[in-house]
Amino acid sequence: MNKNVQEKPPVLKSWKQLYTFVFLHLVALIILYYLFTIYFN
Amino acid sequence: MTQIDWIVLFSFLVFVAGYGIWKTRGKKNIQEYLLANRSTPWYTVTLSIMATQASAITFLSTPGQAFVDGMRFVQFYLGLPIAMIILSVTAVPIFHRLNVYTAYEYLEQRFDLKIRALGAILFLIQRGLAAGFTIFAPALILSVLLGWDIRMTIFMIGGVVILYTTSGGTDAVNKTHLLQMLIITTGMLSAFIMIFRLLPPDISFLDAAHVAGKMGKLNAITFDFDWRDRYNIWSGLIGGTFLALSYFGTDQSQVQRYLSGKSVASSRMGLLANGMVKIPMQFSILFIGAMIFVFYQFTMPPLVFNPVVTDEVKSSPYAEQYNQLEQDFQTVHTEKQQGIRNMLDALHGDNPAQLESSRQELMKMRQSELGIRENAKSVIAQANPDADINDTNYIFLSFVINFLPVGLVGLILAAILSASMSSTSAELNALASTSVVDIYKRMLKKQASEKHYLIASKVATLFWGLIAIFFALVANRLGSLIEAVNILGSLFYGTILGIFLVAFYFKRIGSSATFIAAIIAEGVVLASYQFTEIPYLWFNVIGCVVLVGIAVILNPLMGRK
Repeated sequence: MNKNVQEKPPVLKSWKQLYTFVFLHLVALIILYYLFTIYFN
Repeated sequence: MTQIDWIVLFSFLVFVAGYGIWKTRGKKNIQEYLLANRSTPWYTVTLSIMATQASAITFLSTPGQAFVDGMRFVQFYLGLPIAMIILSVTAVPIFHRLNVYTAYEYLEQRFDLKIRALGAILFLIQRGLAAGFTIFAPALILSVLLGWDIRMTIFMIGGVVILYTTSGGTDAVNKTHLLQMLIITTGMLSAFIMIFRLLPPDISFLDAAHVAGKMGKLNAITFDFDWRDRYNIWSGLIGGTFLALSYFGTDQSQVQRYLSGKSVASSRMGLLANGMVKIPMQFSILFIGAMIFVFYQFTMPPLVFNPVVTDEVKSSPYAEQYNQLEQDFQTVHTEKQQGIRNMLDALHGDNPAQLESSRQELMKMRQSELGIRENAKSVIAQANPDADINDTNYIFLSFVINFLPVGLVGLILAAILSASMSSTSAELNALASTSVVDIYKRMLKKQASEKHYLIASKVATLFWGLIAIFFALVANRLGSLIEAVNILGSLFYGTILGIFLVAFYFKRIGSSATFIAAIIAEGVVLASYQFTEIPYLWFNVIGCVVLVGIAVILNPLMGRK
């Protein structure tokens, strides 16, 4: 793996953490929108 | 439109074109022209990716989609963050390591020239048509609602884009995207605030949301699986992931955005930030549509939002029939207002039984209103069989023109033109790159100076700009515009994605098996579109799975070649 690929992300400590964060953000959005749907429906 | 609106609109057009040309002058080679010298910071990559995806159709059609069908369209984007993660892990490091200009260049390194050519040609056909549509869609709506000449609008949008994209290349596209996203965000935010100011004073934000929700417009997440249903969480997560993988991983108009990133980290951050921001952005636009729906529960809407077809039917022998429907519509609308207030009283009084009965009553009135609208559309179709009876795309702009204050109309129109120009410029830029790098430089003129290829890239940008204008001038109506664009993409994306998946993950599969599998997969997708009722999001999955499956089966027979 070259140096460019090993470069750290500008936020969080590693790419793995950032990917997990993006995925959890998606899960949170789905839960939030689901609650939004049932609350107003 | 008032003089102030025109000043706002034209100031913006002149400023964007001038800014794009001035900030990006003096490009000396195609590395600078097509990849902005690989120097773009991650936040510019993010905004550029978002601006490329957000065409004018997004802002014109999406609120109307919520008005008609509720907010469930947001599920279409649920696969996007997953795709952004997959691409960040796989495609981005490979593209950067190989130092490619286009995604298709990689295919030659992995397979051979014919697969590269196939990928490039599928892209040129699909994106070449879509570029015309990107200009045509807003031009059509602006011409119908504002009485602008459609050809003048097409030439205005196309001309400005050609000017700065030809002049400054990728750098101009990225830099103008920043400006365009700023205008788009300001415009949509202003519209959002204004809707609440225009609601009756006794209707609060929560009341408005309850009205929209109880009338079925806030159905953002639906878990019921139905193969024929276009938008539910399953089609969004599965079909949406495949579509986003195809669009962001294999469509040069997006690949070029993150290839211009100054490092792997910039490109990855651009994609991941887009994955986080895109869904809330679409949710907000759909919510605007749902709130316009609420606004029109308290203000009489037109029976059909397309004024041209309405005027036509009113001057036809069907005028009396149509006028009667308008009167019926008005009567039901007035009764419905009382029904809404009864429902809100029950809600405020915390009376669930009364709330449910008033909601049922309201839905009955809504159904009879929808019935009148359907009758009106069939009367329009009888008066003129060629009339465009789908008025989804006219709802938002009709609201803007008729109810927003002076100045803000110009700003929203500037936002819509921004969106159109941002997508078109990225498309022209990508079409030019693919034409020059994958076709001209690779197959027709291999040895020439940097200056020669730079000029060829500018000529290609101009050529595709003129082709886009030509297609825009001859384009036809195709139902909901945002759906038409996505359907067109889905017809080709599955196959292209399948090729890239084989390239990335099936190292033993050779070129011949992939090539034949691609031809068969494309045939299956086109046949599915023509002869089945399968919703278009699944075409991405079908094309991709068929290609990979056939390539796996054929490979032992054909070997690594």
